[in-house]
Amino acid sequence: MKRAVAAAGPLAPAALLTAIAFVLPLAWLLRLSLDRSSGGGMLVDAVTAANYLRFLGDGFYLGVLWRSTWMAALASALTLLLSYPLALFLARTRSRWRGFLAVLTIAPLLVSSVVRTFGWMVILGDQGWVNGLLRLVSLTAAPLRLMNNMLGVLIGLTEVMMPVMTLALIAGFARLDPTLEEAARSLGAPPRKVLLRVTLPLSMPGVLLGSLVTFVLSISSFVTPKLLGGGRVAVLATSIYEEALETLNWPFAAAISVVLVAVFGVALMLYERAMRRWMI
Amino acid sequence: MAGAAPPAMAADAPYLKLAGLAKRYDGGQAAVAGLDLAVARGEFVTLLGPSGCGKTTTLRMIAGLVEPSAGRIEVAGIDVTKVPAHRRNMGVVFQSYALFPHLSVARNVAFGLEMRDLPRGSIERRVTEALALVRLAELAERKPKALSGGQQQRVALARALVIEPSVLLLDEPLSNLDAKLREELRDEIRDIQRRLGITAIFVTHDQMEALTMSDRIVLMNAGRIEQVGSPAELYERPASPFVAGFIGRMNRLTAAVTASGGGRSRLDASGLSLMASRELPLGVRVTVMVRPHRIRLSARGGGAGEGNAVRARVRKLVFAGEAVQLEIDAAGLVLRVEQPTGGGGWVPGIGEEVAATWSLDDTLVFAER
Ligand SMILES: Nc1ncnc2c1ncn2[C@@H]1O[C@H](COP(=O)(O)OP(=O)(O)OP(=O)(O)O)[C@@H](O)[C@H]1O
Ligand SMILES: [Mg+2]
Repeated sequence: MKRAVAAAGPLAPAALLTAIAFVLPLAWLLRLSLDRSSGGGMLVDAVTAANYLRFLGDGFYLGVLWRSTWMAALASALTLLLSYPLALFLARTRSRWRGFLAVLTIAPLLVSSVVRTFGWMVILGDQGWVNGLLRLVSLTAAPLRLMNNMLGVLIGLTEVMMPVMTLALIAGFARLDPTLEEAARSLGAPPRKVLLRVTLPLSMPGVLLGSLVTFVLSISSFVTPKLLGGGRVAVLATSIYEEALETLNWPFAAAISVVLVAVFGVALMLYERAMRRWMI
Repeated sequence: MAGAAPPAMAADAPYLKLAGLAKRYDGGQAAVAGLDLAVARGEFVTLLGPSGCGKTTTLRMIAGLVEPSAGRIEVAGIDVTKVPAHRRNMGVVFQSYALFPHLSVARNVAFGLEMRDLPRGSIERRVTEALALVRLAELAERKPKALSGGQQQRVALARALVIEPSVLLLDEPLSNLDAKLREELRDEIRDIQRRLGITAIFVTHDQMEALTMSDRIVLMNAGRIEQVGSPAELYERPASPFVAGFIGRMNRLTAAVTASGGGRSRLDASGLSLMASRELPLGVRVTVMVRPHRIRLSARGGGAGEGNAVRARVRKLVFAGEAVQLEIDAAGLVLRVEQPTGGGGWVPGIGEEVAATWSLDDTLVFAER
């Protein structure tokens, strides 16, 4: 016990920072979510579960919660599927372009996701490149709806999340000894079995970390659903924005935020559990 | 766990055959430059040589993990050069153990059998047998991380053996273990290999390992074979100064042939007159080598028999337990000498004048190239 206290000493500044930057706002949100709004942005001091009851009783908001969750899950899965081969290649290649390719992969991180999402609007819009190309070869009469719907949001999110996922996966692969794959081959495993029985299980820490981060970033993302959803894809983040800045119902916005934080909590719990299974 | 049924072939036909095997990694020098080797069924052959001489590369080519640039690999008369690793049925034991960290000991050993789609019962039985063979039956459910280095290496051995490989390939399997364990495991590996009658290629740069374990040693240098032979052959009749110098300790002198005839040559090594037991062309420069412990020291010298004898003065003397190591100065040439302790040899003091003698058989002479 004494030892624990002594060990905590040097950690005090970090703990303080965490308290100020994370715990305090969260506590404030929690408190706010129990207040009542009297319309027109007026706050009424109260301790009421009304905001939560409204969220849970309204099919619309439950729909938002459900949509946000599977959107984030699907975006993470798509990102993982596309990033895994890329990360494996980058981790294994001995090409002298390796460094350049790695930088190229994470370069999008240097560009704001607003800019990248606008890029996708240029590509996916009714007058965008994809539809332009399809028109040019007369494949489609009416433009394909690639935007202002969930499909557009998923495409955008997947691209936005890929660098992060790729980084997490590469970090995971770095700890995987290639000799293990050779051992599997020598024991009679064809390439597919090597991937399934050795590479994949041993890269699970990277897969899980990447999935957690992309899930959390996706479910709290605002710009991509807002711009590529064209106002037709209501998710938690856009709902919070609307309640806080348009309806000016701060307590309800706070309640939705708390729900979002609770989803993070569940995701983190699942991650912890899965990690315990795969940690070696 | 008997070896796979032998295909019909002559008893003395080589089981594993390497012909002109070569590897040049892209852009680099040849790591292996044309290797020819024939290994009999059940033979234990060691690839020995200094670091970077191509031992691992050769082993990996046999395993199918490295593609040869040229040459052929045959097993039981069948060309396997182009067969991918997972269909070669070679058991590989890696220096780093390479156990699957996410699988238990038993599942590690079962891996190769599962890849062969054997029925469950048969897998379980063979895993149990293999673990018993390496005396690890009680650790079957542990994860590799919870094992000592020696235990891990034994699991790796069981994993490679359980698939009944056509050839067992071991790449410095003992180099990460401490000296005592190394000796123990050395005997264990050799014992199991003999019992199963399995053909084994063992890579090491430790000459003691090579000498004690091998039926034959392939001494490699810079991607080529320097000499192939039994441990005794390499030790007693090295084919080149490199072999002589690599295995055991050696004194090395350069000399010129001054007389030749009657099956003998007289050599002059900077003033020292020596004899060699074969006829060499006059004037040729030669390297003369003699092992420190084959030199006898005495106060007066002389004595029976033909051989070499020089007068020298003791410069240095180190007591090393089983032997006393000395440096003696013979007319400006320094020779290292080893005398057994415990009455086996006479030990002079520092500065003392001595006679150093050794037989003609122990005088190795190589014409300089
Ligand atoms: N993957 C590779 N790419 C390029 N060169 C390599 C590669 N592997 C080995 N080499 C080179 O080939 C030569 C032979 O290497 P190899 O690993 O076969 O030597 P070794 O005899 O096993 O040495 P050691 O005793 O140090 O293990 C070395 O010069 C090495 O640098
Ligand atoms: Mg090596």
